[in-house]
Amino acid sequence: MQNVYIYDDNFISLLNLIYYLLKHHIRPDNIKDESYQANLFENKIYLFIPKDEKILDYLRQYAGGSVVRRMFYVFLSNENNKELILYYFFLNAMKYRYKVMGYRNLKCVSEVFRISEYVSHESHKMKGFLRFKELHNHVLYAEMEPTNDVLFLVSCHFAKRLGNELWIIKDNKRKILSIYDKKQFIFVSESEVKFLEKEESNEEKRFVSLWKTFYNTIGITQRKNERCRMNFMPKKYWKYITEMKEEL
Amino acid sequence: MGLQEKLMILADSAKYDASCSSSGSTRKSVGGIGNVATYGICHSFAADGRCISLLKILLTNCCIFDCKYCLNRRSNNIKRAVFTPEEICSITLNFYRRNYIEGLFLSSGIIKSPDYTMELMIETIFLLRHKYHFNGYIHAKAIPGASESLLKKLGSLTDRLSANVELPTENGLKLLAPNKNSKNVTQIMQYVKNNQSKKYVPAGQSTQMIIGATKETDLDIMQKSSNMYDAFQLKRVFYSAYIPINKDNLLPSLKQPPLVRENRLYQADWLLRYYNFKVADLLSPDQPNFNILIDPKADYALRHLDEFPKEINKCSYYDLLKIPGVGVKSAERIVKSRKHFTIHYEDLKRMGVVLKRAKYFILCNGKYVVPMEFFNKNFIESNVVLEEKNIIAMKSEQLRLF
Repeated sequence: MQNVYIYDDNFISLLNLIYYLLKHHIRPDNIKDESYQANLFENKIYLFIPKDEKILDYLRQYAGGSVVRRMFYVFLSNENNKELILYYFFLNAMKYRYKVMGYRNLKCVSEVFRISEYVSHESHKMKGFLRFKELHNHVLYAEMEPTNDVLFLVSCHFAKRLGNELWIIKDNKRKILSIYDKKQFIFVSESEVKFLEKEESNEEKRFVSLWKTFYNTIGITQRKNERCRMNFMPKKYWKYITEMKEEL
Repeated sequence: MGLQEKLMILADSAKYDASCSSSGSTRKSVGGIGNVATYGICHSFAADGRCISLLKILLTNCCIFDCKYCLNRRSNNIKRAVFTPEEICSITLNFYRRNYIEGLFLSSGIIKSPDYTMELMIETIFLLRHKYHFNGYIHAKAIPGASESLLKKLGSLTDRLSANVELPTENGLKLLAPNKNSKNVTQIMQYVKNNQSKKYVPAGQSTQMIIGATKETDLDIMQKSSNMYDAFQLKRVFYSAYIPINKDNLLPSLKQPPLVRENRLYQADWLLRYYNFKVADLLSPDQPNFNILIDPKADYALRHLDEFPKEINKCSYYDLLKIPGVGVKSAERIVKSRKHFTIHYEDLKRMGVVLKRAKYFILCNGKYVVPMEFFNKNFIESNVVLEEKNIIAMKSEQLRLF
């Protein structure tokens, strides 16, 4: 039988669990969150470790803030065995401490590099590609469907940028809404929302049309380059990009 | 005239300016709307593959100048429009709230006089910053010939200020832009350089040259760029392949804009700024133009094959940068990693090294990884050129790197 250790679906709990496993010299076959469906040969193990945020300070002191940030980004990723990668990375972080990121020849280190960069790139892309529309109650509303779970990172960005606005960003893949009230944003699952106003403001159509005019004018015909555009703005995002929807 | 039509006219006449970057500055949102992210954000990409990060418009396309290459020249019979400051503010703010853009890029044709035009631009940007408390990115074009007091005002409101040299030599400018004077542009650059600070043009200045409208060689162009980088601490020089818009005896007749040449110039520009290359390493009076078939760095390596192969585990950071297929990032990674372990050939790929190029030019722990007989100019050249030819064909003559 294979031992699959289960954690509460959050970063701290995952770190708590990994730390516990390392301390007790347990090699897990896998680590997964609660929703994981085990197969016949797998044994789900619940350790019920109390959630303890001190693990973050411990890691920061031990390996540095940037290492913790990279680990968090890996946690947000859509990678299949991200938990196991983090387990082996944690192990090496205890061994090499601050220098751990220097060991690119280790698989887990190079994977943490690769995945954290992927997540950070996608979050950066969403900061550009996200499109708000103004609802008639002046709330700004946007939907997205990123591969990785970048809602938190994107929300942090817009809390700074559009701090004096009311906004809602919805992740359609994970069915979670981030709701901002000019002070802070909170995450609410779609099922908890009873009613969501979606009627657009009177001005909305006008600005959408102005934007499309601008978009269609600004490209230089003699330099047309579909391939290049697609490289920078992959088709999977077009569905939510105001000026691209119709080209799909 | 409706706002739709104005926007169409004034975006159309602004689109030939290549710059659209929004990086290099930070601005916090204090009580208003917006901020500036140091790393810059692209919000969309136009059908030509160029990034859209700023609302790039002219205040007006009316112009008293008659530059041969320009769509907005006085002698062209086209529709003219003028934005009011409030119109620009409304579009900018509403686009910004919807996250269409990172900020505003405001340029203008010259109406009445340079000073008058600059005053209109200042009025617009002042409104945006102080009435609407807009803290997003603003890039403004300085109008050559405007007075220093206006330059001072405009620069204190914007993140980036730029003035285009347009053509690499004085003669070219005289020929195609008879109303323009390169001294006026130099004066602006000098002023911005002397006053640049966190409060004045924090993102620095840039400029642009048109490529292929006059007879300058790549050497002339790179020499000009290099001089400007040294003299005025420019953040960027943009190169813009000449696109025939107007008919004129003084202009060359081209079927296609010289996009591959433009790409080679950008590659070389990067080599100057980040790879410690000098113009003399890349071009000489005997070879004043870049080889269209090979990128400038591979070309350098092939002409200096005696410096290669270089040992990955020993050679300096700057030597690493000379290897085709090794970029700034991968060179940094190699230097960092070498402190901790000996790098093997298999590790290089994970560090972002493009092995199909680099493999001919490196030693890994004293070993040359491909058969030694491959280490000769003709063999490597034919392989590298073949590969580039494919890329060029694939992109159907349309390369781009911003």
